[in-house]
Amino acid sequence: MIMNIPGYTGTSGGLSSGGLNLPGYTGQSGGLSGGGLNIPTMGNANISPQLAAATPGSSGGFGQFLTGAGNVLGDIFGGVQQIGSAISPAIPAIAGSLLTKEAYDRLSNVGDTAYQRSMDLAERGQQESQFRPFTVTTPTGSAFTARMGGQPQPPMMTGGPVAPPFTPVLRSGVMPGTVMDAGGAFGSGQGRPPAMPVTGGPAQLPPQFTPVLNQVPMTGTVMDGGGAFGSGQGRPAGMPRFAGSPDSQPAADAIARQYQQPTPQPQGGLEIGMSLSPEEQSMYEGLFGGAGRFFGQAQQPTAGREQEIFNRMRAAQMPEEQRQRLALEERLAAQGRLGTSSAAFGGATPEMLAMATAQEEGRNRAMLGAMQQAQAEQMQQASLGQQFLGSSYLPQQQLLAALQPGLTQQQMAQQAQQFGTGLFGETALSGIEAQLLAEQARANLLGGVGSNILAGMFTPQTNKVTGATTPAAGIGDLGGLFGGVSEGLGTIIRGIGGIFD
Amino acid sequence: MAQELQSINLVAPAFKGINTEDSPLAQDPSFAEIADNAVIDKRGRIAARKGHTVITTNNTVLGTDSLRAIKDYRDNAGNTKLFSVGNNKIISGTTTLVDETPASYTINANDWKIVNFNDHLFFFQRGFEPLVYSQHTGAVEKMSVHAHSSGVASTMYGHEVLAAYGRLWTADFSTDKSTIYWSDLLDGVAWSGGSSGNIDISKVWPDGYDEIVSLAAHNDLLIIFGKHSIVVYAGATSPASMTLSDTIAGIGCVNRDTVQYTGTDVLFLAHTGLKSFGRTIQEKSMPISSLSGNITKDLIAALQNETEFFRSVYSPEEGFYLLTFTGQDMTYCFDVRGTLENGSYRVTRWPSTGFTSFTTLTDGTLYIGTSNGISTHTGYTDNNVSYRFKYYSPSLTFGDSSRIKILKKLKPTLVGANNATVFMKWSYDFDTTYATAEFTVGTQITGFYGESEYTTVEFTGGQLTNQRSLNTTGYGTSVQVGLESEINGSSLSLQEINVMALIGKLL
Repeated sequence: MIMNIPGYTGTSGGLSSGGLNLPGYTGQSGGLSGGGLNIPTMGNANISPQLAAATPGSSGGFGQFLTGAGNVLGDIFGGVQQIGSAISPAIPAIAGSLLTKEAYDRLSNVGDTAYQRSMDLAERGQQESQFRPFTVTTPTGSAFTARMGGQPQPPMMTGGPVAPPFTPVLRSGVMPGTVMDAGGAFGSGQGRPPAMPVTGGPAQLPPQFTPVLNQVPMTGTVMDGGGAFGSGQGRPAGMPRFAGSPDSQPAADAIARQYQQPTPQPQGGLEIGMSLSPEEQSMYEGLFGGAGRFFGQAQQPTAGREQEIFNRMRAAQMPEEQRQRLALEERLAAQGRLGTSSAAFGGATPEMLAMATAQEEGRNRAMLGAMQQAQAEQMQQASLGQQFLGSSYLPQQQLLAALQPGLTQQQMAQQAQQFGTGLFGETALSGIEAQLLAEQARANLLGGVGSNILAGMFTPQTNKVTGATTPAAGIGDLGGLFGGVSEGLGTIIRGIGGIFD
Repeated sequence: MAQELQSINLVAPAFKGINTEDSPLAQDPSFAEIADNAVIDKRGRIAARKGHTVITTNNTVLGTDSLRAIKDYRDNAGNTKLFSVGNNKIISGTTTLVDETPASYTINANDWKIVNFNDHLFFFQRGFEPLVYSQHTGAVEKMSVHAHSSGVASTMYGHEVLAAYGRLWTADFSTDKSTIYWSDLLDGVAWSGGSSGNIDISKVWPDGYDEIVSLAAHNDLLIIFGKHSIVVYAGATSPASMTLSDTIAGIGCVNRDTVQYTGTDVLFLAHTGLKSFGRTIQEKSMPISSLSGNITKDLIAALQNETEFFRSVYSPEEGFYLLTFTGQDMTYCFDVRGTLENGSYRVTRWPSTGFTSFTTLTDGTLYIGTSNGISTHTGYTDNNVSYRFKYYSPSLTFGDSSRIKILKKLKPTLVGANNATVFMKWSYDFDTTYATAEFTVGTQITGFYGESEYTTVEFTGGQLTNQRSLNTTGYGTSVQVGLESEINGSSLSLQEINVMALIGKLL
């Protein structure tokens, strides 16, 4: 039998097997068993039953000591006996009161416990239903990573080399995918500073890309933070599956908190990262840089290129023109017309004018051809730049294409996770409800017992056989109780004081 | 023992003209050693030339100078005006010479060449701005001030000018002897723009270098005469496209004023005599025949001695080509009606005529310029002054130069020579001292009965023939016979000379 006197707020320890815990005792461990007493005035000291049952010796000082101790103990036990004698008539009243109070307390704790358990469940559901980072890795080595801000990086599946940062290639903080120069977008037509080399290309990655692209690519399938989403239990990895009666739920909750505690709460929005394999990265850089160079060349003024093409065309034309000129000169010389100059033919002969006209037409054609060629080359540069730019995104596009099935799997895992979380919550809530009902029933039961005891103490009892009627103890018994107890406690204190005399 | 007189008949003596190239002994009696003031008349006889009649009555502007060039202006409307140059003036008129020299235009040379072209008359002389006369302006003016003129510059102040193929062509400049300029089509004052142009033939001369002297147009050819070579261009109607057709080295033209067109040929005086282009149909080369082969040496000597101008004229009506060395006052008359066996023209001489310029009008009139003004080639006096007709045969051997010939009689047959005094001359063995027999031809009135009323043409049968028989003296192995007569108003033709001689012993 365990008796905790009202006012005792300890959570463990205490009397067992008939011990008594006095109000004010707040010790956490130890205690009397087998009729021990926990006394708060002694600094939560616990007097062991052995000490309480000790008997004095018969010889020497020790015998005297024992005699003295025996006297003290005699006083003490005499006091206890007085208390017991005082208590015994009031025990039913005391027990009924205590039971009633216990029922009251339990009913009070049922709401608190239900609220606390519900909040714990909600917190756990929130934790388990939160977004789980995942990574999609393609066979070519590129990877797609999604996580919430503040979440740890998904575990690395295989140790692929870290993609080099874009910084050396993209020097001017321009997002990849947009060909920019230092002064602005090329597409805006604003031109670039004259001193800037055309082939510079984008100079720098956007800050938000840098940490992502620097991530170590992971291989594997759709994963959550602790393993394959395919498990779908919504349970942190390594956490033992929850099982047990409602009484064991606080321990299970404590274990769940222990496992969930390292999981950081999301601190920011969704972060998506993509990384390429070194080969793809190299190809990306080459193609992207090439696109920049092509676009840069496409923005070059065409006059110089026109002149170069024109010179080359003229260089190809001039030998034949020279031959024809010499032939004409010989022909004119044979005809005696070298010195002919006619105003009608531009100060020359008709043949010379015709040749000059033809040559000028050739020059004009060469000039126009050079212009067209230069423009065609410009278009070609732009087209190549566009192709290179498009091709440079091909690994990324393929990664995104490969992301679709992975994303589906992730969604399925997410659904399973959410479903598991919901199921877990409903199940846990049912357990809480059952526990609450049980606790309520237990409290009601205790309350009923206490009420009955108290009712018996104030109700006269009539023996139906003999017809004799025993009057109710009433409040008088309680006064005798408090007087006997006080007297007994005084005797004990005096006995204890005798120990130190 | 008396011998029979041997008759040597010189029929139509000298009808082949002068021949000073062959040996006299071997010559055909048809040649003449001397034929002065003579022509070959229509019957192939040697005859006295025509004189000239001055029609100018007022030559004050000419002063003491002579007319150096004559040209008649003619436009499509029929307007004509005769222009001449002399005394550093541009002169117009025939009876009264009028100074037409533009104001503020100084002339210090009279070697103009004047051409008619498209209702304009152009005057060209090296170093002087060309002058232009047209009916609508009514005065001679500098080309640069003429309406619509262009490109007139000192570089084209040529000495030679040719109007042909619808353009004016000019060459022979002060500092440029190898360039030819041509004007715009039908516009002789436009030397720039249009289809005007020029050609430098300095690289074309066959012997490396020459200087343009004259230009000629013939049979769609542009003939460019250098001093020692000739260049021929074909297709001159389109000068920008004309091409070299032929070149002739070693023969050139002495002076631009010796070039004359005969219709079928172009005559010009070369350093080796009078030359012509003969037309060819089959051959592409340009045959050149010598037209003065019988007097080559004389002509070359005259060329070398000439210090003034060369003047020439072709008269299809008269059938001759006159070439005058004005500094020597000598005119050679080439009969262009036919050539001799050696391809030469028959030629006679007209010494001391005073001719300094010629021109022929469209009606065939031959105008002659002299110090007196303008004359017409008519009559048989030189402006009422007689001139001497001379004929001397080559030395005659009568077929045997080893025997002595003793002349007995000379029997000339003359046609015309009214009241003329005729001197028959003879000499032996190349002696220049001639024996002379004189006679006077009577009045050659062709009317019946000697009445003047019958002397009109309608009653005459033409000129009368006069035969005389003159006794001669002396002897020698070769005999030269001559005839001289003052031509003073009447024509004289030598029909034949019959020489009567005894053939003597062998020397």
